[in-house]
Amino acid sequence: MEEYFSSDDECCYSDRDSLDGLENEDSRTHWAPSKGPASKVITKESLLAAQREDLRRVMELLSVREHHARTLLIHHRWDVEKLFAVLVEKGKSVLFMEAGVSLADQQNLGVPLPPTVMCEICIEDVLGGDATRMDCGHCFCNECWTGHFVVKINEGQSKRIKCMAHKCNAICDEAVVRNLVSKTHPDLAEKFDRFLLESYIEDNKRVNWCPSTPHCGNAIRNEDDDFCEVECSCGLQFCFSCLSEAHSPCSCLMWELWVKKCRDESETVNWITVHTKHCPKCHKPVEKNGGCNLVSCICGQAFCWLCGGATGRDHTWSSIAGHSCGRYKDDGEKKAERAKRDLFRYMHYHNRYKAHTDSFKLESKLKETIQEKVSVLEDRDSKLRDFGWVNNGLYRLFRSRRVLSYSYPFAFYMFGDELFKDEMTNKERDIKQHLFEDQQQQLEENVEKLSKFLEAPFDQYEEEKVMNVRMQVLNLSTITDKLCQKMYECIENDLLGSLQLGIHNIAPYRSKGIEKASELSVCWGNNSDKALHCGSSGRTTESDQPSGSGSSEESGISSRKRARMEGPGGAFFDLNLPADNVDRSEL
Amino acid sequence: MMIVEFTVFSTFKFVAVKLSEVIKQQNNAAELFSVKASRARLFKEFKEVQREKVADPDIQLSCDDNNIFKWTALVKGPSETPFEGGIFQLAFAVPEQYPLQPPQVRFLTKIFHPNVHFKTGEICLDILKNAWSPAWTLQSVCRAIIALMAHPEPDSPLNCDSGNLLRSGDIRGYQSMARMYTRLAAMPKKG
Repeated sequence: MEEYFSSDDECCYSDRDSLDGLENEDSRTHWAPSKGPASKVITKESLLAAQREDLRRVMELLSVREHHARTLLIHHRWDVEKLFAVLVEKGKSVLFMEAGVSLADQQNLGVPLPPTVMCEICIEDVLGGDATRMDCGHCFCNECWTGHFVVKINEGQSKRIKCMAHKCNAICDEAVVRNLVSKTHPDLAEKFDRFLLESYIEDNKRVNWCPSTPHCGNAIRNEDDDFCEVECSCGLQFCFSCLSEAHSPCSCLMWELWVKKCRDESETVNWITVHTKHCPKCHKPVEKNGGCNLVSCICGQAFCWLCGGATGRDHTWSSIAGHSCGRYKDDGEKKAERAKRDLFRYMHYHNRYKAHTDSFKLESKLKETIQEKVSVLEDRDSKLRDFGWVNNGLYRLFRSRRVLSYSYPFAFYMFGDELFKDEMTNKERDIKQHLFEDQQQQLEENVEKLSKFLEAPFDQYEEEKVMNVRMQVLNLSTITDKLCQKMYECIENDLLGSLQLGIHNIAPYRSKGIEKASELSVCWGNNSDKALHCGSSGRTTESDQPSGSGSSEESGISSRKRARMEGPGGAFFDLNLPADNVDRSEL
Repeated sequence: MMIVEFTVFSTFKFVAVKLSEVIKQQNNAAELFSVKASRARLFKEFKEVQREKVADPDIQLSCDDNNIFKWTALVKGPSETPFEGGIFQLAFAVPEQYPLQPPQVRFLTKIFHPNVHFKTGEICLDILKNAWSPAWTLQSVCRAIIALMAHPEPDSPLNCDSGNLLRSGDIRGYQSMARMYTRLAAMPKKG
C-alpha cells in the first residue's frame, strides 16, 4: 500500500515525461486541482478547532463572548452568512433575542448578589454564594439550577437549556452549566460538552459524519461545493450530499432509484444475470474470473462478456473495432410488451453496470499480480528503471472502470421514461443518447485495451517489447483520463445542464480520483477540552493562529502517510489514536 | 480496626459488598435528594395555599392526606363562558422530579372543551409539556387552566368535535354543548 502511493508521486513525473511526445499536454492544466483538498477530516480531537474559525468571526463582529457566539451559531445552524444577514436585516437586538442570547445589563451584573437570596424554585432562602445569576438576570439557587440542567441534559436538550424563569427565553451560560453539573454528575457534564461540540456536525450543512460502519468517529467538512465525493481518513469514499457510496456520474436521485431497483429485482434473476453468461457455442454458464471483458469459454469459444455475443475475427485482443454492444438497441418495431421491454432495458444496463463493478472488485487481485510482475522486472538488469507507469496505468484503469460502471445507471435514468419523460422530445433524446453512447463506447474501448495491456505477461517480454507496452499504457492512461473528463463534461453541460425541471447535480470529475480529505490541523488540540473548560478569556488570541494553509498541509501529509502505512487490510482502523500521537510529535 | 480481624478471604468479600453498597447509596442519594427537594417545595406550596385560600376564591387546592405527591383542586368555571357556574375537579400527579418536571393534571369532572380529552380528562396545555418552567406552582397551573377554559385553542384539539364546532365558526353550537355538559356534570344536582 505504501509503495502504491509513493509510486503515485513518481508516476506524475513519468507521466509528464511521456507527455512531451503527446498532443494533449494542455489537458493537464485545466483539470488539475490547483489547491489542496476542499474537504477536511474532523476527528474527535480537532472538533473544537474546526469550529473556532466560525466562532471567532461571530465573536469579533458582535464582540460577544464565546458561549454567546456558540448559542447564536447553534440557533442559525452554523451558517455564519445567514447569521450576518439576519444581523443586517433585523438588527442586533432581534438577532440576540431570537437565539435566546441576553446580554447582561451592565448595572445588573455589576451589583453583587445580596447576602441571602430567595430562590423562587425551592422557595428557600439561600446564601448569596450558593446562588447563581444568569446573564438574563434571573437568580436561583445552585441546587435548583443543577437539578434543572441534569433534567435537560437527560432529555437531550443540551444545545438549548433555557433559563428556569417563566417565559424567559435565554439560553443558559454553558460555563455555568458545566461548572454546576460537573460537581455532582461529572458524566453528564461530559455528555453536555460532547453534545455542544457535536452540534457543529449535527446541525451544520457543511459538515457530515463519515457514514462508515463501524463508525470511525470522524466527520468531514466540505469547504467548496455541495456536490463532491470525499474520502475519509478511514478510507471510506462517499458522496457528500447523500452519504451513500461515491456514484458520479449518477446524480444522487438516480443512484437512490437504482439501488432500490437493484434490490427489488428477484434474487434468482439477479444471480443468473449477474454471475454467469451462457457460452454462445456450448451454452454452458460461464463465470468470469478476470478483469477483461473478452472472455473465453472452456470450449475455446471467445465471447464478449458484456453482450454475450460470440466474438471472432472482429473482436480480438488487438482490435475490438465495430464492437458496439454498449449501445442499447430498442426493439420498438417488434412491439414487444412494454413490461418485457422495460425488464430487458433494465437488464441491459444492469448487466453492464454489474460487469464493470465486478471487474472492479477483482482489482486488488490484479494489483498483487502486477506488483509481482514489476518486482520481476525490477530484478532484471535493464535500462528501464522506473515502473511508475504500471501503477499509474492500473490506477487509471480502476478509476475509469468506476466511471464506466456508474455511467450505466446514469444512462438508464437519463434516457428512460422514469425521470425526464417530459423534459425531452423523443428526437432530442435520441440525439443525446447517441452523443452519450458514442463517448461511453469510446471510453469502454480504451479501458478494455488498457486492461489488456496491463494483464499481459510483460514481465516475460523482451526489453523492447516492454518499452512498447509502457508506451501503450501511458498513452491509453492519458486517453481514458481525457475521455472520462469529456464524458463528465458532456453529462454536466449537455445532458443534465439543459434540463428545465429536474434538479440533478453530479460531483465533478477528478482525474486523480476521489479527493482524500485532509486532516484539520489541531494546533493545540490535545488540550482542547481544557481550553473549553477555562472559558472564553484568552481564547481570541489563540484563535489567531491560522487554521488553514501551511500547518494543515503538513498534517495532511503526515496523515496520508500514516494511513498508507496501516496496510491494505485496515479499512476500518481507528485513526484517532495515531493522529493524537502525530500531532503531539509535531508540537 | 475491625477489618483487621477478618480473614483475607472475607475481607475481599467485604470490600466487594461495600463497593456495591456505596454505588447503591450514591444512586439513592441522588434520588432521595430530589425527592426531598420536591417534598420541601410541595410543603412550602401547601403552606402558601393555606395562606392564599381567601385571596383566590376561584381555586381550592388540597393535598392528599397521605401522599404529598397527590393533589386535587376545585376550580370555578370562569364567568361569561359556558363553564360559568360549574365547579370542576382537577387531579394532580406530581413527579418526584418536581418542580424540574411538570405535574400531570387532568380533569376529573367531565368537560366539553377542545383542549381536554372528553373521556380521560387529559389537558393539552403547553406549560404542562415543553413550555414548563420550574417557576410555575400548582396554584399558577390552576390559573393557567382557568385561562385555558376561557380561551380554548381549537387548532390543537384533543376533543375534535368541540374543536370542529369552533373552527367552523359555530360558536353557538359550541357554547350550548359546553353549557349542557357543565350543567350535567359540574353543577350540584338540585334537590
